[in-house]
Amino acid sequence: MKQRMILIASLVLLLAVIGYMVYDLFFSESDRSTNPYDYGLAELRKSDSALIHYNEVQQFSIGLSEVYGIATDPAGRIYVTGADIVEVFSPEGELLSTFPFQDTAYCITISPDGTILLGMEDHLEFMSPQGEIINRWKPVSEKSILTSVATDGTDVFIADAGEKIVYRFNMKGELINRIGEKDSLAGIPGFVIPSPYFDLGLGRDGELWVVNSGRHLFEAFRPDGTLISTWGQPSMEVEGFCGCCNPSHFVILSDGSFVTSEKGIERVKVYLPSGEFSCLVAAPNQFDEGTRGMDLALDPNGRIILLDPWRSQVRIFVHKEDESDGNR
Amino acid sequence: MDLGKKNRTSHRKRKPVKKGIALAVLTLLFAWQMASTYAIQRFPKPEFESGYITPETLLPTPRAEILEVMDVAVLLMALSLVTWAVLKRRSRNLVFWISVFSLAYFGFYREGCVCSIGAIQNVTLALSSGSYIIPWTVLAFFMAPLVFTLAFGRTFCAGVCPFGAFQDLISWRPQKIGPQLNAVLGVIPYIYLALAVLYAATKTDFIICRYDPFVGIFRFDATFGMFLFAGVLLLSGIFIARPYCRFLCPYGVLLNWISRFSRHHMTITPSVCIQCRLCEDSCPYECIEKPVTVKNPDSRQTTLKKFILAILLMPFFMLLGGWTGSQLHESLALVNGKVWMANELLHPEKDASQPETIEMTAFKASGKPASELYAEAAEIIREFYIGGWIVGGFIGLTIGGLLAGRLMTRYRTDFEPNRGTCFSCVRCMDYCPIKS
Repeated sequence: MKQRMILIASLVLLLAVIGYMVYDLFFSESDRSTNPYDYGLAELRKSDSALIHYNEVQQFSIGLSEVYGIATDPAGRIYVTGADIVEVFSPEGELLSTFPFQDTAYCITISPDGTILLGMEDHLEFMSPQGEIINRWKPVSEKSILTSVATDGTDVFIADAGEKIVYRFNMKGELINRIGEKDSLAGIPGFVIPSPYFDLGLGRDGELWVVNSGRHLFEAFRPDGTLISTWGQPSMEVEGFCGCCNPSHFVILSDGSFVTSEKGIERVKVYLPSGEFSCLVAAPNQFDEGTRGMDLALDPNGRIILLDPWRSQVRIFVHKEDESDGNR
Repeated sequence: MDLGKKNRTSHRKRKPVKKGIALAVLTLLFAWQMASTYAIQRFPKPEFESGYITPETLLPTPRAEILEVMDVAVLLMALSLVTWAVLKRRSRNLVFWISVFSLAYFGFYREGCVCSIGAIQNVTLALSSGSYIIPWTVLAFFMAPLVFTLAFGRTFCAGVCPFGAFQDLISWRPQKIGPQLNAVLGVIPYIYLALAVLYAATKTDFIICRYDPFVGIFRFDATFGMFLFAGVLLLSGIFIARPYCRFLCPYGVLLNWISRFSRHHMTITPSVCIQCRLCEDSCPYECIEKPVTVKNPDSRQTTLKKFILAILLMPFFMLLGGWTGSQLHESLALVNGKVWMANELLHPEKDASQPETIEMTAFKASGKPASELYAEAAEIIREFYIGGWIVGGFIGLTIGGLLAGRLMTRYRTDFEPNRGTCFSCVRCMDYCPIKS
């Protein structure tokens, strides 16, 4: 009897197999209603709200169609640059000035003396705080695509995504050294920059931090080009960086932590100075899908200033604890 | 002591050890396949611990011709070896280990491709389409088992086909399902073969490959649905021996036909059958024909009536099947991508709630006029109309032949393997007390 039952069950299974084939061949359209080539990043775009430690406290529109870079000065003024113009806003978002210029600036920084440094495609231009062009350096190279600039008042560091190298110049425009060139003896793997997102910044101790975005790594160098340390982990999880080349931009907080922005899965995160993931500033659902090029800056009150090129907005984030202290 | 019981007992005692070793080999091969699966590049990139430089994606190079020659050589060698093991050595052990080798080589190493079963479609396509040139290796994989079968019976099924070997390994508790059910389910491979040929000839799909339950396991890359499909089939295979070979395999239909004419088919006894009946229940595939000792069980008039009925049955079922097939040709044609697309374009209101399919998006983006698509679809449907007649007629002929076959009895004095369905697995020989 038991054997008979087993046999019947086996026959039912066999008929189920044949039934499935007939159904799938003649009656099912499931293959056609779904896209097998879909990236399917929807799940990865979800994030735990408990990880978000920042609130968006302010946002204001920029009257520019193309925006690329953002910076702040010691007074908290916000500088946004794009094609042909720099716009200066008060910390509250009021437009203070507009400084026109030729060409397009892809990156911007403010030197300690208030000079505005604009990174054009292949060269650097210097603008006085009043908006006059006071200096224009010669092109760095034919292949150059300058994506980030930083200065401590003595040296100027330029990230060149075209040449995949960082240049260190003095204030006179003389090249002092190249940083990050592949050197296996010195343990420098070289920069992997698949797209023109190549950011750099100066740390608390004067060290230069560069995003090796193709490797999903942060690399710290001494000004002479000696590699000091690296951190970063490729991961699909929130703790790491994913895609071809991330993070696209970063800024360093006063305590040495890193604020990073990513494209692909649009999000802004904070990492401790050790490189350990700390929290989210903004989750993917706070951005339009496809947003990229979210440059970051920091104002004297520790507010995170984010440039959202897709919405053409400046968006300001404050830590939830600071917000409750009234630091807005 | 009952000699048959002794034989069966000793046979069963050996089996778990042998199958255990074979399954261990199988598990190792699974592990190997799984390891290689983890090496597949995914999007986004996998998680590397250090500064690993992701290499550029390279397209796989075509398989070296020398290796293809080697595949054919291994096939011929395995066929020769298993034929020798079946006909000369009459050794189940040897056949078993050759089948384990075939499973490892043609299954896990060659990942189930090229396979003789799927080659039916390539041959069909080559015959129906002037633009398709069949690779010689595919032709060799298609022809070699047929040639061997014509000479020696289905020794290919016994020890060379990796699908058969796989099912043989998991056939732990085979049960008999009875001749009636066996015969009814035995029609399915004919239908499958007819549809596979129809869809290959109309350049619609290679459905044998699409519903190949084993390739996904060999490659460890099947979708969940196909793993489930294979799992269910294999689960049923624990109790119904070789379910795919018996009730699905379309290549088995060809082998069945050819094997009936094989010159040196295996026999249960190497000498004269002593009618001990020890082998009677030995075949898990129910392929042993019992003796029919009465030469003419019916009267002359009854035999004549049966003969006339058999003669009439076949054309009747053929016509009925052909007509039915021709009536179903539009439904059959909907499997074709162009016909399906034309149908969707003609009835846009049908799935208005569903998102547009990628095929439809691609078609619209191509700028191709709908009238051109309709003309192509109409031509394909016309092919399906003719094909429907042929497929239906073939299935009708099969059913008619099956019924006619049951009307006629063939005189035989010994227990004999059915030359059409016997897989030459040699199990029955173990039960035969005559060894030389």
